[in-house]
Amino acid sequence: MTKRSRPSGLLSLLLAGVLAAALTLGLSACGSSSNSSSGSATNASDTGGVTASSPTVTVLMGTAPDSLDPALGVSTQSYEATWLAYTGLVTYAHASGAAGAQLIPGLATSLPTISADGKTYTFVLRKGLLYANGEAVKASDFAYTLERAIKLGWGNKQFLTGHIVGAEAFDAGKAHSISGIAANDATGGITVKLTAPFGPFLNVLAFPAAGLVPASTPMKPLPNNPPAGVGPYTIVHVVPNQSFGMAGNPHWASEAISGIPGGHTNIDVNIVTNNQSSAEQVLNNTADVFDWNDTVPGTLLPRVHSQAASRYAQEPTVSTEFFFLNTQAKPFSSQLAREAVNYALDRRALSRLDGGQLTPACYLLPIGMPGHPNGPCPYGDPNEPVTAANFAKAKELITQSGMAGTSVNVWSESHPPHKEYADYYASVLNSIGLKATVKIVAAAQYPATIGNIKNVNPQTGWIAFSQDFPNPVDFYQLLDAESISPTENHNLSQVNDPHIQSELAALSPVPSSKLNSVVPKWQALDEYTAQKAYIAVLGYDDVPKFTSERINFGALVFHPVYGNDWSTLQLK
Amino acid sequence: MAGFLARRLAGMAAVLLAISLLTFLIFQVIPGGDPAVRMAGRLATPQQVQDVRHAWGFDRPVYDQYLTTMEKVLNGSVVSYSQQINVEEEILRSLPPTLSLAVGAGVIWLFFGVLFGVLSAITAGRFVDRSLTVVALVGVSTPAFFLGALLLYYLGYRLELLPLGGYVHLTSDPWGWFTHMLMPWLALSVAFIGVYARVLRSSVLDTMGEDYVRTAHAKGLSERRVLVRHVLRNSMIPIVTLWGLDFAAVVGGGAIVIESVFDLHGVGQYAAESIARLDVPPVLVVTLLVACAVVVLGAVVDILYAALDPRIRLAR
Amino acid sequence: MTPLRPGMRSPPATKGPPPAGRGPWRLAWRRLARSRATLAFGGLFLAVVVLCLLAPVYAHDIAHTGPNDNHITETVKVGGKTLEVVSPTGVPIGPTWHSRFFLGADANGRDVAVRLLYGGRNSLEIGAIATLITMLLAVLIGTSAGYFRGVTDGVLSRLLDVIWAFPPILLGVALGVALAVGGLDLGVVKLHSGSLLLPALIVGVVFVPYVARPLRGQVLSLRRREFVDAARVQGRGHLRILAEEILPNLTSTIVVFIPLMLANAILLEAGLSYLGAGVQDPNPSWGTMLAEGIRLTPGAIHLVLAPGLMLVVAVLGVNVFGDGLRDALDPRAGQRAIAMRLPRPTTAGAAVEEA
Repeated sequence: MTKRSRPSGLLSLLLAGVLAAALTLGLSACGSSSNSSSGSATNASDTGGVTASSPTVTVLMGTAPDSLDPALGVSTQSYEATWLAYTGLVTYAHASGAAGAQLIPGLATSLPTISADGKTYTFVLRKGLLYANGEAVKASDFAYTLERAIKLGWGNKQFLTGHIVGAEAFDAGKAHSISGIAANDATGGITVKLTAPFGPFLNVLAFPAAGLVPASTPMKPLPNNPPAGVGPYTIVHVVPNQSFGMAGNPHWASEAISGIPGGHTNIDVNIVTNNQSSAEQVLNNTADVFDWNDTVPGTLLPRVHSQAASRYAQEPTVSTEFFFLNTQAKPFSSQLAREAVNYALDRRALSRLDGGQLTPACYLLPIGMPGHPNGPCPYGDPNEPVTAANFAKAKELITQSGMAGTSVNVWSESHPPHKEYADYYASVLNSIGLKATVKIVAAAQYPATIGNIKNVNPQTGWIAFSQDFPNPVDFYQLLDAESISPTENHNLSQVNDPHIQSELAALSPVPSSKLNSVVPKWQALDEYTAQKAYIAVLGYDDVPKFTSERINFGALVFHPVYGNDWSTLQLK
Repeated sequence: MAGFLARRLAGMAAVLLAISLLTFLIFQVIPGGDPAVRMAGRLATPQQVQDVRHAWGFDRPVYDQYLTTMEKVLNGSVVSYSQQINVEEEILRSLPPTLSLAVGAGVIWLFFGVLFGVLSAITAGRFVDRSLTVVALVGVSTPAFFLGALLLYYLGYRLELLPLGGYVHLTSDPWGWFTHMLMPWLALSVAFIGVYARVLRSSVLDTMGEDYVRTAHAKGLSERRVLVRHVLRNSMIPIVTLWGLDFAAVVGGGAIVIESVFDLHGVGQYAAESIARLDVPPVLVVTLLVACAVVVLGAVVDILYAALDPRIRLAR
Repeated sequence: MTPLRPGMRSPPATKGPPPAGRGPWRLAWRRLARSRATLAFGGLFLAVVVLCLLAPVYAHDIAHTGPNDNHITETVKVGGKTLEVVSPTGVPIGPTWHSRFFLGADANGRDVAVRLLYGGRNSLEIGAIATLITMLLAVLIGTSAGYFRGVTDGVLSRLLDVIWAFPPILLGVALGVALAVGGLDLGVVKLHSGSLLLPALIVGVVFVPYVARPLRGQVLSLRRREFVDAARVQGRGHLRILAEEILPNLTSTIVVFIPLMLANAILLEAGLSYLGAGVQDPNPSWGTMLAEGIRLTPGAIHLVLAPGLMLVVAVLGVNVFGDGLRDALDPRAGQRAIAMRLPRPTTAGAAVEEA
């Protein structure tokens, strides 16, 4: 074959190249086989440190952070580490519960003054700040930090490009800098101009991605060697997907910002994919902290409760799991059919599929999010079995809607227990008179698949949303008509409701600091959503706070936004 | 011989080229597999997805993307989509657990494969042979991940004799390394032991019938001496070459399932996770690595056979 | 190479004398009939098949529940005690040894025994179809490559090399993921994403080189034999020669390969399902059940043991039967250098041939 079809110049180049590469790789594999022991052992760091002699605690994490470069990381595992190393102009109070959702000044001297039209934010940078590498912090670094996050493609950059004047043009390459940001290195003054008032904008600036990095930081991803920042900790010894460390920032002590604890221990983070194994290790005190993003296997819970009751707690997170119900396609174009689903779902069953770590509920806004309605669910108590009457009503509603016998594809991703949710959900839909088929997609292709109205237009399926920041606007992006798009759809129920739109227009400019004044309005809106049955909520996720006996469990803050606050970790 | 080698090299290059193309194309056609959507982040606008697509060149023609990617693979600068980490560095980091697995399991399956095979052959037809045959066939019929799960449950969880997976570096804790690797070694070895025992049994029986063995017997050499000197030595040829192939495959990430069950963070698990993330560059590199190992060692095996066995000649 | 590959063992590749009436077959049958172990394990496999075929009967008349019926929040009475099918922390009930939940429940509160039988149907069906695909393609490719040689051989052998060198699990998983949503549209044939034919096709293709290469070698030597020359001199066409002279001589090899491939196909399907690329939910198969069970260990070891042991028993039955069949068809197999013809096809076309 090779004789007959002579390869072209390009092809022969490739042939040679492929071979060369393969050989090199093969050889390097063989070469390393002689020293199989040459592992890069990562051990506790004593580089300076919280104090040089601080003890070290071990955190076991089931999923590696997507990136430890603050300009790239968007996973909760990433934030958990980076928010302690990259402080922004504002940050969150280091406290549990509602107190932790409060914004406090970070590198700025105080919370900004906001102009009357809500579009101009003015900050003043603290004086004498140093980065972990010793460089002085300049006001102009702020603009560079945001530009870097945008350029490198931070996953949440739409919060920046969508609101700051000139950020979109910068992103598109039409400008060399963000025109809406002005900074004066001499005075430390920083002004940010928004295209329109956006209530949660300060929350956006509290993201670790907006935590200042020096303007000398290279404009390229640095996941293995994260840039210098300002914060109690600095990230060290990164071995991607295996481990990293958190050591004290040598310059922190001198600048200690009030409200931000300096930390007590050095931290070693090891990636252990098997939750069973990590839970056992923490239970046996061979490791110190079980990461809150992981699940203590239900089979182990009885032992945890009996042996470690004083160092285990189930903490609520501000996140909602729900089935979207496509209002633009049969059968859920009918409100009756959507109500039927809400009546028939036994949320306790779904909670069991999640190892009991799901609090059954029916409202989109979860507990802990301002605006969560206090009233009872319109479709029966989600913590109780579905009553025979409600189940009969569900069947009746399907019949009334004229949708009986309609085929429904139930979408979900392959990750447990989301696949199991879909199996259960499909059996419920079948029992009330629809014809459900389960469609499972690999987790990685799931968002793109269900977000494609043009080719897939999914009728219903599982989705979860956890807060980016403590402002209900965040959740209502999911029902905002503006989120509908043919190929990147985020409003999966495709809700286009004038009432929701007008309420959002009124509520979204309200700054997070004044959120309390509009809580009743958010509650009313969320009750309206439930009543319209635009979605079928499963419940809110609970997560484990679980440590070894060495750790002072009571002192460890479970932060409402970032989970376990490692800067509050201390030994007994 | 030179002509054979040239043909052989060309053939290998063609195979690797085809495999790289195939891998790349499979990921191109995956519905919902567009990496730009994942990279643009949650709630990204269509414009942002388009920007990512453009920045990474996903909007360029497929052949163009393929060539660019391969060029990066060759000069070692290819990065993963999901974490933007250099793929070849990541593979090098994943090698210690994979090599530990391959070396340890390789030694175990070679030793027991040979032991059982020889025992089986010299007791052919009798009780020992039959029992070993049954054991070998059970081993061959058991999926490694099922065996691994059982070991984890009984030895790790119930009896708490061994750790529940994970990898410890040999240099930092030799005993810990050994205890962490023991179950993966066993789980991976069992099926191979079955195969090797069966192959060696046939091979030994075969060699025993050869003229030179009969001659050796006729010369009055002791049974034991004939077995070791003449029979075993020749019967080992297929076993050793076979071992080379299997070892190479495991090093190249072939033990995906075992690495995942025991959470070893080796090359195979890296490949499995990358597939789950639909991350083409790592999958491409690992696939090429395995294919290359298989292809190169396949050639070596052929040449070895030809050199060792006069009944085989290299084709024109 | 992968833990699944070692299952491959050598077939005899009998390139014995030209067919001489029914003699050899009758002889083989008599040998087979004498080997009680072979028949016993063959029978064991058949028993598993029959059991799985009776799945609907078991579901309907004994367990009174279907394979996809969820009973998460229900309770079951066992020995006077009322137990929850799935505990509030998600741990399913173990074997009750009663008609309901005889082997316990899974996380979704589904009856494991019922799913085991239905899953067996799927696993066996995929195994059978995959084997059929492998054998058809392998005979087609192996004989054409060996018979026509030259360019045809070059192209086909290279194709086999590509499939062979592609790590089977990687190939299988990648294809599985690629086809999971949209299915496969080949113009004439359209397989929707949930179809069992998809995993069967993937498994079938992966194993083609293992069979095709030995067949090719055998045809290469057969075509030089006198009886083929004679047929050619008589002016018979290629197709007739292939069908009348070559194929009959391949039969015993093909027959020996079938159980071997069936065993390996069932194993590979389980491996693919473990990595999420096999049978699609909520359709059970032994592989998907094992994968779910492993996720829920240690609390629910019955979810691992039930499908795992069933799988091992079925595959072992096929393997022992195949072993005996090989001995019966080719009693000299044990005395030949079988490793020479190990189903590890050599890599660059016509590199190695027996002289």
